[in-house]
Amino acid sequence: MWRQLHSRFGLPLTMAIVSLMGIWLIVMVLLPQWQMIDYSFHPALLPAERGGAKDVWSLTNYATFFHNEIHLAIFFKTIWSSVLVTTLTLIVSYPLAYYLAKVATPGQAALCLLLLIIPFWINEILRTFAWYIIFAFRGPLNELLFALGLIDRPIRFLNGDTGVLVGMVYAYILFMVFPLYNAIESLDTNQIRAARDLGAGWGRTHRRIVIPHAKPGIATGCIMTFMLAAGSYAVPALLGSPGSRWFTQIIYNWFFEGGDWNQGAAYAFLLLMLCIVFVTVIMRIFKVGLGDIAK
Amino acid sequence: MDGRVTLSQVAMRFGDFTAIQPTSLEIASGEFFSFLGPSGCGKTTLLNMISGFLTPSEGSVAIGGVDMTRVPVNRRPTAMIFQNLALFPLMSVYRNIEFGLEVRGVDREKRRDKADELLDLVALAGSGDKPVAELSGGQKQRVAIARALAVEPRVLLLDEPLSALDLKLRQHMRTELKAIQRKTGITFIYITHDQGEALTMSDRVAVMCDGRIQQVADPMTLYRQPRTDFVAGFVGENNRFPGRVTAVDGGMVTLDAGLPAPLRGYATSPLASGDEATLYVRPEQWRVGSAGDSSLSFGGVIQAEHFEGAWLTLEIALDRGGTVRAHVPQALESTGIGSQFTVGSTCRLDYSPRGALVLPGIERGRANEESVDVAATA
Repeated sequence: MWRQLHSRFGLPLTMAIVSLMGIWLIVMVLLPQWQMIDYSFHPALLPAERGGAKDVWSLTNYATFFHNEIHLAIFFKTIWSSVLVTTLTLIVSYPLAYYLAKVATPGQAALCLLLLIIPFWINEILRTFAWYIIFAFRGPLNELLFALGLIDRPIRFLNGDTGVLVGMVYAYILFMVFPLYNAIESLDTNQIRAARDLGAGWGRTHRRIVIPHAKPGIATGCIMTFMLAAGSYAVPALLGSPGSRWFTQIIYNWFFEGGDWNQGAAYAFLLLMLCIVFVTVIMRIFKVGLGDIAK
Repeated sequence: MDGRVTLSQVAMRFGDFTAIQPTSLEIASGEFFSFLGPSGCGKTTLLNMISGFLTPSEGSVAIGGVDMTRVPVNRRPTAMIFQNLALFPLMSVYRNIEFGLEVRGVDREKRRDKADELLDLVALAGSGDKPVAELSGGQKQRVAIARALAVEPRVLLLDEPLSALDLKLRQHMRTELKAIQRKTGITFIYITHDQGEALTMSDRVAVMCDGRIQQVADPMTLYRQPRTDFVAGFVGENNRFPGRVTAVDGGMVTLDAGLPAPLRGYATSPLASGDEATLYVRPEQWRVGSAGDSSLSFGGVIQAEHFEGAWLTLEIALDRGGTVRAHVPQALESTGIGSQFTVGSTCRLDYSPRGALVLPGIERGRANEESVDVAATA
């Protein structure tokens, strides 16, 4: 890469680009991360005690987590719910991405993409709050279902996970649609036609031709959606109930309510590890490398 | 296995645009049939209606006497070879060929036997486990043929499958396709803009232009007796002489085209004195001689010469006429007579009336002085 940049931009510009990238990585990513990891292995101390006899490396903060059944439960619930969000988003996005990439005329596709993107000009909190209103006990959705005669008394959507799941699928759908769209779009349409021509029904054509081709896109979309879901704070805070707390909310509480940054850092580091493990597992399952995903 | 294809008044419209004018056609079972025409003439649309990718706006498509108009593509007894082949790149050669059988629920062993048999047929035995990406252009071509034949179609549809190959390979594949067609007895429907492909392989050819079939005939008839001006110009080259009929004698017609001598040719359609008509002379019909050869009726000046290997193409400006193209065989060239054919020199030329066709009417789209139609010989 160095050589390519060098031949294209010359030495001074290349140096500038590379050092800017380096500074960004070190100052904005590596150092803060390192600081957090460092925090997580130290006990929470008063400013006066820092650097003193009590300031030693310890695993206490991690032990706290593994001894707290509620936090463990929320951690696993967060994993499970994020997987669910990812799966739901994939199920919703795949037909949409396929339609955009292979069925719609260019005009229709442009219109659809615009309709998908416009809501994202509005802040995530506001969009989520819109769902809060829709799902409210005396809100429009209940009114609609009631008017259609499907229910005889309002449903509490915001109790339990329904609200959180729907809110997240909506919040992250673009992160799934776009990688899928790109992947499916690059498939030669004649491949689909050939499969159909050889007798394959739609199900088999997707299973054998479209999905294998779109695998890197599916992996990218799943990884992004999972990471965003697992790290989401606003959606569960707004649409969740006390019974559907997210792990990020626990981390937030450690930092800003408990004032225990060291404990919070340990929890945050655990979440980071979880995400890395998830990415690795997904890449294994889909048999894709980092290079495929970066495309 | 009845591979008859019957098109009854099929038409295809996209909004205001008519891609196919109402067309009826019967393709016999086991026939090698080609649709020949320039791009945009509607030949691919027609193919897509037979394969089922398009549903005609009007009319019906039947295969083996059974109406297929509303049958979806995956239920039709046809198989297609795509222009870009569309092999499945993530699968091995075997998996590609077996795909259609897998869909039909044929068990693993039978699939493999069938695939091996087909690989033998297309001379690729032993390549089954290779990934498709490792094959050469010609090999991919063969895999595409094997994959299509695996589903035992009654009709094989070929959409310009040879256009990506280089000349030598293309010529070789023509022979091979024809051989495979004879061996399997399947109806082949071949789409091409390359008249060489259509003429060499086909039992019959349909020449298309602007969504309409101009003529359906065997290759020789098509070349010798084109029925329309378009066919005369598109299949092979022709020199065109628009004029007025001055005399009719049996099948022979005399035409005044403004040249020093009247033109004579044969007509297959009835013509009367005074009718507008066009006479066509193929470049190889001209006899070109020296300026002093008074047995030749027309005089001209050589404008350009193109060496084409087996023959020399001369562009000759006729006295009081337009420019014509004439082929002079190289065997004649080498005898020494050729030395006179230099650019700028005068010559005499003539043709045998038996080798010139007269069709009624004048193509209005073209100016009268433009008597040469240099056909697209892609």
